[in-house]
Amino acid sequence: MRYFDARIIENRALGNGYFVLRLGGCDSLAQSLPGQFIMLRGDWGRDPLLPRPVSLLSVAPEGRADLLAKSIGRGTRLLEAAPPGTRVSVLGPLGNGFPEPTSDCLDLLVAGGVGMPPLFMQAELAARRGLVDRCEMIYGGRTSRDLVLLGEMRGLGLSTCLATEDGSVGRRGRVTAALEARIDYHLAANRQRKLRIFACGPREMLWAVARIAEPRGIECYLSMEEQMACGIGVCLGCAIPARSRPFRYVCSDGPVFLASDLVIPPAAGQTVGSTP
Amino acid sequence: MTAAPSDASAAERPSLVMHCGKINFRNPVLTASGTFGYGKEFDGLMPLSSLGGLVTKGISPNPRFGNPAPRICETASGMLNSIGLENVGIEGFASEKLPFLRRCGTKVLVNFFGTTFDDYVDCGERLGRLDGIDGLEMNVSCPNIKAGGIEFGREPQVLGDLVRACRKVITKPLWVKLTPNTSDIVALARACAENGADAVSVINTITGMAIDARTRMPRLATIFGGLSGPAIKPIALRMVYQIHRAGLGIPICGIGGIQTGLDAVEFFLAGASTVQVGTQNFIDPASAERIVREVEEFCRQNAVSDLRELVGSLKTRP
Repeated sequence: MRYFDARIIENRALGNGYFVLRLGGCDSLAQSLPGQFIMLRGDWGRDPLLPRPVSLLSVAPEGRADLLAKSIGRGTRLLEAAPPGTRVSVLGPLGNGFPEPTSDCLDLLVAGGVGMPPLFMQAELAARRGLVDRCEMIYGGRTSRDLVLLGEMRGLGLSTCLATEDGSVGRRGRVTAALEARIDYHLAANRQRKLRIFACGPREMLWAVARIAEPRGIECYLSMEEQMACGIGVCLGCAIPARSRPFRYVCSDGPVFLASDLVIPPAAGQTVGSTP
Repeated sequence: MTAAPSDASAAERPSLVMHCGKINFRNPVLTASGTFGYGKEFDGLMPLSSLGGLVTKGISPNPRFGNPAPRICETASGMLNSIGLENVGIEGFASEKLPFLRRCGTKVLVNFFGTTFDDYVDCGERLGRLDGIDGLEMNVSCPNIKAGGIEFGREPQVLGDLVRACRKVITKPLWVKLTPNTSDIVALARACAENGADAVSVINTITGMAIDARTRMPRLATIFGGLSGPAIKPIALRMVYQIHRAGLGIPICGIGGIQTGLDAVEFFLAGASTVQVGTQNFIDPASAERIVREVEEFCRQNAVSDLRELVGSLKTRP
């Protein structure tokens, strides 16, 4: 982990508020693992005050790092408008990462909206190791405009299954329904097939993914998000309830957690206490 | 203008050495409790030996797991936190954290607290016996459960009794971190001075809240939290100055929204002899080291040969 200044070398708008920031000067991020993140801050005075945790989308030689963000609050709006040449401060790489791709598992990469970057990076790693056929992207959003970088995914040779709530592209409905269908498909083809689920996206989506994985006995890893000020286990702001101890910290214990170590709330309509 | 010879510039190097609360510091910039972990988290981000000192996360007799999430939220030029005083407890601190602190190369103050009067005394006494600690800073902003949850540090009488009881069992330098949630900060500082405290740290966070209008919910799980960051600097400066002006003779460590060397200098002018950098450690994890350099630079540019000249030297209109 290093703290350093970097520069935006490219800021590519993808529509609907999504944009890819390409940073230069990030040699320290070259060995980052899929799932790791950085704390990013522009030189923008006191508002917003705190740096923002941002997942890595891709890292490349020559100190290049790509980030995907969506303009939602003041911090991301400032980043969206930042021209090439803008100086930013970076602390990273932070946190753990997803388990490595292996030849004896099929990894279902479940991405919701702007939670897609760590899964893209995982697919990129798999492709580099000749294991891209051992993973599959299941990518969902509200509309087709929330599904970005599809060409880049195809470029990796990655099999993708898309889902949109309005049906504008791919399967109509939530990404979790698509996940269930893919699990059924794979297990129907080969009951012994070892599946793993890696997921990143909105909190409710992650809980739903965990509730799909658990009864089926599928190893499930969730990349969590929470408010944080420091990214290095100091502010203790990013606590999430866990089973092995009262709280775990998204920044220093995660952001990737085994779903079985987190306290997964019951689905709406389910009575409280119905989960172990 | 020609560059001064290197030996001359060395001679011109201003003295930042400061004595505060019975501790000698190489410079007056410390890092504040709760924003610097147990020191080790920042090892590698800056040389800890560049600091005047560091103040650890608050330690209680037993480990605490803290409050439910959300625990923090950003506000205009500040942040609210309600961490719940999570910490490893005295035994965990002594076995896991202290070995690093003993060789970290800077002065170490251990912040501590209790949930009852006896807890405070017990905690202070046990920490005071550990080697490798230069001083203790008492956090008196905890709710006194036996007195309806009012902070121990809010009533001068209660605070004075607590300081006196802790002073009896602690031989190390004892600082008290004052709560700003009071109508009379001077009365609190006086209670500390009269009962044997060696310094006061001014100020702790200010109680506040934030609301998410769309969800109609508070942004913190505990509804209220402590406000920190540049938003509170004017209040902190005012309180430091009020205590200094009261002439109690107790040294002051200024805390509240310090982001730059110039911010720190403002606290020295108001009467602080040391400062603590808090929330800024989250924004820029190497900032404390930079602030030391900026204080030195200020002295150089303003012909201040010894930083002690600045302490309490605020000019006010007649």
